Amino acid sequence: MALLEVAELTKDFGGLRAVSKLSFVVEPGEILGLIGPNGAGKTTVFNLITGFHRATGGRVILDGASVLGLKPHAVTRRGIARTFQFVKPFPKLSVRENVTLAAFMRLPARRNAEAEAERLLARVGLAAKLDGPASDLTLAEQKRLEMARALATRPRLLLLDEPMGGLNPREVDEASRLVREIRDGGVTVVLVEHVMKAIMRISDRVVVIHHGEKIGDGPPDRIARDPGVVAAYLGRRES
Amino acid sequence: MTRAAAALAVLVLLALPWLVPNQFFLHLCVTVLMWTLLGAAWNLLGGFAGQVSFGHAAFFGVGAYITMLLYLQLGVAPWYGMLVGGLGGALVSLPIGLICFRLRGPYFSLSTLAVAEIVRLIVLNWEQVTNGPVGLLITTLPRVGVGPRAVDWESKTPFFYIVAVLALAAMLATYGLSRSRLGAYLLAIREDEDAAEAVGIDTVRTKVLTLALSSFFTGLAGGFYGLYFRYVDPDAVFPITLSVEMVFIAVVGGLATVVGPVIGAIFLVTTAELFRERFQAGHLIFYGLFMMVAIRYLPEGIWGGARRLISHGPARSR
Repeated sequence: MALLEVAELTKDFGGLRAVSKLSFVVEPGEILGLIGPNGAGKTTVFNLITGFHRATGGRVILDGASVLGLKPHAVTRRGIARTFQFVKPFPKLSVRENVTLAAFMRLPARRNAEAEAERLLARVGLAAKLDGPASDLTLAEQKRLEMARALATRPRLLLLDEPMGGLNPREVDEASRLVREIRDGGVTVVLVEHVMKAIMRISDRVVVIHHGEKIGDGPPDRIARDPGVVAAYLGRRES
Repeated sequence: MTRAAAALAVLVLLALPWLVPNQFFLHLCVTVLMWTLLGAAWNLLGGFAGQVSFGHAAFFGVGAYITMLLYLQLGVAPWYGMLVGGLGGALVSLPIGLICFRLRGPYFSLSTLAVAEIVRLIVLNWEQVTNGPVGLLITTLPRVGVGPRAVDWESKTPFFYIVAVLALAAMLATYGLSRSRLGAYLLAIREDEDAAEAVGIDTVRTKVLTLALSSFFTGLAGGFYGLYFRYVDPDAVFPITLSVEMVFIAVVGGLATVVGPVIGAIFLVTTAELFRERFQAGHLIFYGLFMMVAIRYLPEGIWGGARRLISHGPARSR
């Protein structure tokens, strides 16, 4: 059975249909890439799944139970964690405290939550930065901090919103490796990304959205050759 | 602050009526402690969670009226009435919180201002119960004492001890909160509400509960006000200036700190006393000016800034 099933998901902002009858599934253990041109509705899909936006219609089912209409914190409790396209650390709090706060949900005792935070921060390569405020980190480090923070809620499904956006090539490689490690650790990953080379390399499967509708769904090499997808990105040739 | 210093400060405080047996000085101390209690109460929500309420006068007034009415109508002694007043303030805060916390940032602040005005108008116009604009008056307080030694309610000393205990309780609650999971959640909400939700924090519930705790202490202070001045009317216990002065104390003293409200309260009472003799509302101008200076140059307040100087490093979140 699919881990996450999105069916007929629709979102209107006033008269604008941002997401239109979008359906896709996420299989357990895979890395699913969600791509599409600017303004295609990728982040909106994340916001709908995680409860930050209220859907106009459709279904979102995690492991057999609907999560649509739940508040974001309740969605997190059900096992879906996310990061943000524009990073949202707790800027004045220490790096350790940022992740400890998230670990509290599963580990109420501070000692245990802090130990979990330190373990996860070591895993994302921030072991040397524990005591500084999160605002002192570079963008790449803040994105890794958000991944550690999301993992601290012990999700089954992790939604990463542009984990490589704005990073240099070396940082992109590191982030790619980290995403694979997270998946190998047993967490299913869906990521929205603009960095095509990276997403084509690490995704097991890719879903393409254009104007809020799905126009492609399949393995990366096939999607890259799909004429409809190429047209969405480059525009159709006048003939 | 170390435990020893805190214990010494508490001892000196409790010895004050004996060290300085001057009724006017004690009156100033009572006022400072009442404002400390209020500043600490506001700080629980405003300092930790960054939710700026301009409507705490509502909970103060509700606490004051409940305490007075319980005594005048049912003969419940005001020191028990105060506790009920605090609980009443907390109870009133629940629907207010559930409504106002649908809004964020400045919109939340404005809604609290409006709600406080609504509560004031209800009390002003509900004359059968509240006596309307005439207010409520206590002529004599019940006799308390063992044998022939009764508490002298004409002296300031018993009031000093009552309000000292209340203020210390509020400061203790602040300390407890700063070390608890709830306190950590509030800081997360202050920093970023979306991110707080994303890590599984029920932000609305957390804010509503904290508002209730904050309102409890504010209601207690209202009850004490009734007990101390023995007279309340809507203008005295529901003014906007009261809400604003609570904000002032917390901001100037130091947000989310235990000692900040004491500093803020001393500052507020001193300037009020200095200016009141010359012109009636002059102290308000001065508060406004000083608040601007504090926000610009001392965003952590006097205590927060002093603590940073002492520790020579970034202040810890607690």
